[in-house]
Amino acid sequence: MVLHRAARARLAPFGAAVLVAAVLVALGAPLLAPYDPLEQNLGLALARPGRAHLLGTDNIGRDVMSRVIWGTRVSLVAGFASVAVAAVTGSLLGVLAGYAGGRADGLVMRAMDAVLSFPPLVLALALGAVLGAGLGGVLIALGVVYTPTFARLMRGQVLAITAREYVDAARALGAPGWRIAWHHVLPNAAPPIVVQASLSVAFAILAEASLSFLGLGIQPPGASWGSMINAGRGYLQQAPWIVFGPGAALFVTVVGLNFVGDAIRDALDPRL
Amino acid sequence: MGRLVLHRLAATVPVLLLVTAGVFALLHLTPGDPIDAMMAESVDAEAKASLRKELGLDRPIHEQYAAWMRRLLRGDLGRSIRNGEPVIENVSRRIRPSLELALLAMAVSLLIAFPVGIVSAARRNTAVDRAGTSFALFGICMPNFLLALLLIFLFGVTLRWLPISGYTDPVEEPLNGLRSLLLPAVTLGLALAAVITRTLRSSMLEALGEDYVRTARAKGLSEWRVIRGHVLKNALIPVVTVLGLQLGTLIGGAVITEYVFALPGVGRLVVEAVFARDYPLVQGVILLIALGFILSNLLVDLLYGWIDPRIRYR
Repeated sequence: MVLHRAARARLAPFGAAVLVAAVLVALGAPLLAPYDPLEQNLGLALARPGRAHLLGTDNIGRDVMSRVIWGTRVSLVAGFASVAVAAVTGSLLGVLAGYAGGRADGLVMRAMDAVLSFPPLVLALALGAVLGAGLGGVLIALGVVYTPTFARLMRGQVLAITAREYVDAARALGAPGWRIAWHHVLPNAAPPIVVQASLSVAFAILAEASLSFLGLGIQPPGASWGSMINAGRGYLQQAPWIVFGPGAALFVTVVGLNFVGDAIRDALDPRL
Repeated sequence: MGRLVLHRLAATVPVLLLVTAGVFALLHLTPGDPIDAMMAESVDAEAKASLRKELGLDRPIHEQYAAWMRRLLRGDLGRSIRNGEPVIENVSRRIRPSLELALLAMAVSLLIAFPVGIVSAARRNTAVDRAGTSFALFGICMPNFLLALLLIFLFGVTLRWLPISGYTDPVEEPLNGLRSLLLPAVTLGLALAAVITRTLRSSMLEALGEDYVRTARAKGLSEWRVIRGHVLKNALIPVVTVLGLQLGTLIGGAVITEYVFALPGVGRLVVEAVFARDYPLVQGVILLIALGFILSNLLVDLLYGWIDPRIRYR
């Protein structure tokens, strides 16, 4: 029923099509990429888009389209994995804070406020720097940055749900706290978490691309959209396709995921 | 209003303590020895030992934290490993270009967002409204480094109207200074304008549905007078909130914008420090940015209380 409502959102079909296409491209990269993304051909460096190379080649003759296709994997993994880390960690912290209350609640929420006191990209940059360049460091950094949002959301949900009669009834029947949390609190608190997660994936992909653009994330010669755009900016005049090929892929993916997130939010909003 | 100020300040203190603890811990998150990470190219054991002693890393962690907090309270944020200068001096040299960029970006964003948001709301479900909401979507989804390169390609490389990088001090050369900041400010301001447009449109539509607006129209007031006299001030409250929430995005966006346009601001200083593994400088700058962010949010909270009297008396 939720999917049916989500599908009725005006731009949901476009968003869904983009998401499905991105996943298929990421999974099918070895079959879809016309060339090896690492294969250099200096004789064809900075070649214009044409029949042989649909998005041209970069400064060392690598096929841009193949690198954009392989870069889809990095972006989707970064987006979904970092949000998953944040959603799980944040939800656990939120349940702890909301259910335990008192000092535990105060400590967890002040810690979340402290994390939120840093501009997100600055914090991700600092964490990525200390954890080291590479996808792992970026995933952890983004996971930390997005955790407070989920923690606050879950805590609010837990406080609202634990005040309901069915939770009182479960307590009166002698159900232990963990059982109440698992069977009653978490399932009812899940929808806003799902909405937030779906809205966050697009921004996580943008954030990973930003960090890769700055030089964290996947290191050369690996293909990621952000690092490709950074490498291409020195050749903007002679070969703008090196920047705008991955740029277009990034933009379309983020727009599509935004539409999907909006559709899921509208479908799960009890007011609509 | 005084009670609101005191209440907000009191709530900030525990957060500040945790922020300082977090920044202190940053150095210790480095896998392996942070000194080896900072001096990766060096094999001089004596130099490493000397840096370890200077940063206090040879002492127990609680003593390190106490010493760090004592220095912090004296205003000593440590020294850069690269140039040996105090962090405060490194930052104060770079703060003006960042503030100029931020102010110009805010001005650009408000100049764009207000007309677009107001017209979009007033002409709901028309082509003008659809253009306005498309603009908002474009601004939110477009990565700002990509937008920067698009603007550079269009206005710098193709049309050659504006410089593509570098900074000229607007105090010494106002016209050239403004030209050097225009593309970066538009890059930073457009993303913010998109968010403000969306919020303003939404809050104006809500206000336009209120009874007092129906009354004003029934009294014969023109639509423009209704919007200007009744709708806009009520619609501004969520916009101020969003501006506050977007401060973090603005600062983050400034890091990338300064990097792309080679502006000598604090944002680019962070990037340079990160890649030079100048961790004392990274710690100091991150802490100052966080403090600035907390203070700005505090000011926005207080501004919110000033705009909406109902907040002050809660």
